[in-house]
Amino acid sequence: MATVKFTNVQKIYEKGQTPAVADFNLEIADKEFIVLVGPSGCGKSTTLRMLAGLEDISGGTIEIDGEVVNDLQPRDRNIAMVFQNYALYPHLTVFENMAFSLRLKKMPQDEVYKRVTEAAEVLGITEYLTRKPRALSGGQRQRVAIGRAMVRDSKVFLMDEPLSNLDAKLRNQMRAEIILLREKIDSTFVYVTHDQTEAMTLGDRIVIMKDGFIQQVGTPDEVFDRPANLFVAEFIGAPKMNIVRTQLIQENGKYYVTPYGAKMEVDGENGRLLKEKGVTSREVILGVRPEHIALVAESAENTIDSTILVNEMMGSELHLHVRTPDGEKLIARTPTVNLTHEERNKMHTGYPIHLTFPGKVMYFFDPETEKNLLY
Amino acid sequence: MQKLSDLQYLKLTKLQRLWYNLTLFFFSIPGWFLKLGRSILGFFKKVGSGFINFFVDIGTTFSKGNWAVKLSFFIFGFGNLYYGQIMRGLFFLLFELVFIAYMLVPSGGIYWLQKGQWFQKGATIGTVQGGSSYDPIFDTEVWHAGDDSVKVMLYGLLTILFIIAFIYTWRLQVKQCGICMDITAQGKKIKSGKDDLRSLVDDQFHKTLLSLPIFGILAFTVLPIIFMVLVAFTSYDAAHDGYSNLFSWVGLDNFNALFDFGSGGLGLAFGEILSWTLMWSFFATFTNYFLGMFVAILINKKGIKFKKFWRTVLVMTIAIPQFVSLLYVSKLFDDSGIIGKLLLELGWFPQALLDMNINSLWDHETSARILLIVINIWIGIPYIMLMATGILMNIPSDLYESSRVDGANAFQQYTRITLPYMLFVTGPYLLTSFVGNLNNFNVIYLLTSGNPLNTEIGTAGGASIGSTDLLITWLFKMTLGSTDAQYYSASIIGILIFVVVAVLSLIVYNVIPSTKNEEDFK
Amino acid sequence: MAKKIANENANPARTKRSMGVKVGRRISNTFVYIVLILMTVIWLFPFFGIVLESFRVETPQQVSYLWPKEFGWDNYYKLFNETDFMRWFINTGFMGICTAFLQVFFILSVSYTLSRMRFKGRKFLMNFMLILGMFPGFLTMILIYKVFAEAGLTMEMAPVGLIIVYCASSGMGYYVSKGFFDTIPKSLDEAARVDGATRFQVFYKVIMPMAKPIVIYTILMGFMAPWGDFMTASYIIHENSEGMNVAVGMYEWLSKTNLNTHYTMFCAGGVVVAVPVTALFLMLQKYYVEGVTGGAVKG
Repeated sequence: MATVKFTNVQKIYEKGQTPAVADFNLEIADKEFIVLVGPSGCGKSTTLRMLAGLEDISGGTIEIDGEVVNDLQPRDRNIAMVFQNYALYPHLTVFENMAFSLRLKKMPQDEVYKRVTEAAEVLGITEYLTRKPRALSGGQRQRVAIGRAMVRDSKVFLMDEPLSNLDAKLRNQMRAEIILLREKIDSTFVYVTHDQTEAMTLGDRIVIMKDGFIQQVGTPDEVFDRPANLFVAEFIGAPKMNIVRTQLIQENGKYYVTPYGAKMEVDGENGRLLKEKGVTSREVILGVRPEHIALVAESAENTIDSTILVNEMMGSELHLHVRTPDGEKLIARTPTVNLTHEERNKMHTGYPIHLTFPGKVMYFFDPETEKNLLY
Repeated sequence: MQKLSDLQYLKLTKLQRLWYNLTLFFFSIPGWFLKLGRSILGFFKKVGSGFINFFVDIGTTFSKGNWAVKLSFFIFGFGNLYYGQIMRGLFFLLFELVFIAYMLVPSGGIYWLQKGQWFQKGATIGTVQGGSSYDPIFDTEVWHAGDDSVKVMLYGLLTILFIIAFIYTWRLQVKQCGICMDITAQGKKIKSGKDDLRSLVDDQFHKTLLSLPIFGILAFTVLPIIFMVLVAFTSYDAAHDGYSNLFSWVGLDNFNALFDFGSGGLGLAFGEILSWTLMWSFFATFTNYFLGMFVAILINKKGIKFKKFWRTVLVMTIAIPQFVSLLYVSKLFDDSGIIGKLLLELGWFPQALLDMNINSLWDHETSARILLIVINIWIGIPYIMLMATGILMNIPSDLYESSRVDGANAFQQYTRITLPYMLFVTGPYLLTSFVGNLNNFNVIYLLTSGNPLNTEIGTAGGASIGSTDLLITWLFKMTLGSTDAQYYSASIIGILIFVVVAVLSLIVYNVIPSTKNEEDFK
Repeated sequence: MAKKIANENANPARTKRSMGVKVGRRISNTFVYIVLILMTVIWLFPFFGIVLESFRVETPQQVSYLWPKEFGWDNYYKLFNETDFMRWFINTGFMGICTAFLQVFFILSVSYTLSRMRFKGRKFLMNFMLILGMFPGFLTMILIYKVFAEAGLTMEMAPVGLIIVYCASSGMGYYVSKGFFDTIPKSLDEAARVDGATRFQVFYKVIMPMAKPIVIYTILMGFMAPWGDFMTASYIIHENSEGMNVAVGMYEWLSKTNLNTHYTMFCAGGVVVAVPVTALFLMLQKYYVEGVTGGAVKG
């Protein structure tokens, strides 16, 4: 139930060193779910901790609901936070863990009881309320940690990599539950993760950071379709986008790229945009997502004739690691539905295969600035 | 000295690596001294620039400040009061008033400072010599009280510290006032007294927690140590105890004795005692370390039962107050003690000692020293055993499993895994333990009191010196005795002990990390 | 290497070898037991000795045999009726209890602060205390004695003076308990602060309840200190029997002049001192071990 506004926020740990967070500007709308994502050391956790009041702010201001909170203690900011390692008080029962903040506010017992049991009900941990955290599994502890944050009517709900201590299966399950939880908790969310899948599935908007700088802010669709730069393009999506430095050629009003000796036409929206921006022949960094690479039966002018290095069978799709004629590596994804059993079986190491990049799903970046040429 | 790259290093055989590391070690020695010198220089530079900044800073505050800020240069806390920080303001004001009053009242600060005649070589500390004179009316000697040098010196020292605190507070409140001005200019709210009190249980909670412990340390460690260091420059001893006879400033004269290597000279005694002290520390630390570890391994061996019982038996020596066990054991080995007599009767007593007409192991330098180290093993093994047990349990068992798969036998597991791991983890402990043994008063004093007497040195620093005296027991003895205590010598030895410990620590801290890199175990 | 693998695979050879391992282990275990039993004898001998000698009636001197010819409580009777032992014992116990509780306050304050909080001057403070600790602490006694003598805290009031000495600077011995606090994750503090706790509430509602082992360890160490202290105590007490602790008091009994009349009494006194202290110590052994191990690992 609150807006959050970062204005030129900075964090410098030691004088003279590069800032951990540099010039961070962001406005978060009421009830928005914002995900800060980036590789470790990118400053996302520091940003969150500054918002929580656990780190001093070296420069700029942070506002919650229009009030500057720079000098407020964490307890005066009315925020709730879920920590990566749960941070449950080991000497208190689950009930008292969840009631801790309410007890500090000297809330009457029946109100405490009501709130804690309600939250426990939602999270499905009612039967563990009298246990100590030690006796709980990782997933249960995580629920308690979320519950502890839930019982408070906090303005902002902060989560610092809450799922990264869980195993893959549990993580998927909890991720779905957080989406459900969001409907129940009427609050603004700021969620920090290094996992792009979490970011894509949870966030209304995603903030992608690197080395203390914001790379792009946008909805999941935006950052996927229109990455602002090479870093974002590579960071979002798995397996990683294929990258190749190549020539963009303008010929007779049409655009072509020439990766690995093949010549492919840039058509559709991409071709239109290139023309609109008046791009001429030049060197570019070409990006193609593995799922967009097409397999072709016959070798042609627009195919890259390569051989399979490794074939990973994922069930619904194949991940093909291939070697191009130049000796570079590419990854292509292809759905298993389109292939017969025989075809799949043939695709072992050394099998020749022809790939092409559809022109409408190519990404173009400037080799110098690594910025997206089209958006 | 050519430094090898990682890959080049890996190419070397074991022997070559050893040689390489050894040469690297010796070549790096000048480097440390350079580094040490540089860091000392850096320290002084930092202090110097800090000192200059201290006043430059205050100057800019003055020139930029408004009239309230400027006035608070003279009236403490005025700025705080002006900006509404009543509590702080009153506190500062009170501090200033108390300071001025203390300095100016008769027999206040200035009085004590003058009495002290600070650092005037040859001048007495305190000016009025007490003494007794014959009183014809009562027909007795009557005592006229004079100054007490210790008191004069202490009050002088306190006054100096008070002045430093005054200057610091002066700057503090001026700076605070400047900050208040800036905050008001920005249109923000200034912290009230209530906020100050509240922050003492919150973001300033460390001040609350630390205030009493730090006061204790300042009053009972820092102040006495500064005082004692000053004593090294005076003639404070039993004959000049300050009360019946004033003592005076002597400059560096006391330190001359350190270069006296004749019989009874401080230099000779220090050299002898230091060498035994280091020897003792070395043996006491390492015998305990390795034997204790050995015992821990024995007890933790697979298939050994009653582990808890064995441990408890050993822990008994820690539990029982040392003076009981040590005094009793020392008597056991005496010429009339059970073990001492038994050795004589069994004919196991060293013949060489009997030839010298000595029939107690405590009465000869060599045997006493060996016995001390042996008894110290009895005292020390349990500590190491407990510690090593804890560490052994912490060694991940998969290390042993993987090494067994790799084909290591039990002995190889010990030398390749257990020992490196232990050394790695307990490195800092070894230093602490070494320093602890250096100052191990209890074991030496309760077992031998430093005896047998060292006839070669005789007495030095006002104490008769024994062959098993450590620096710390020597220091202790110097301060005893109503006629021959030499407090100034004790002070010098105290400073030297500090130097020894500091140098050792510096070396260890510098060596350990650099050698650690070369360790194959991480 | 190849030979070894062959050996492992060849079945008969393998069983033979594992039999060999078993026999080998039995032999080595027997050896270990012998060593341990021998050690037990050496370690316990002085304690049996002191107990036996304390019951010896026939002579108060050192003798060349261990087993008393005549058993009796004479030494204990004399101990409590003819000497100031009772007074010393009470003095020491009083000091032990006071020191234990004051030290807990000082040490925990310092170690908690240095472990959990980051503030200006923290590094300086730690280095300062480290360097201060390199001075022999006894050096401070000369001035402290003078001041205490003036204030009347020596001689018969020595126990009070000594408590002050033991506690005042005890903050410098923060290392072990700081090591303990360092192992408690910092995110607990942060979670509590976000939950609305002040630093003080974090301290007593979150950290203190978890710090029981280190509190007990610190209390135990504080309690034991006065029982073993000779150096500082003898200096402050200044040979006044009223104010002595057991160590200083009983030390005199073994001097050349008293030895022949007080030896067995010393043994009796030793037993009286050792029994309660040892019992307490063994009872709380677990916490002591935790402290020793943690402290060593942390340095």
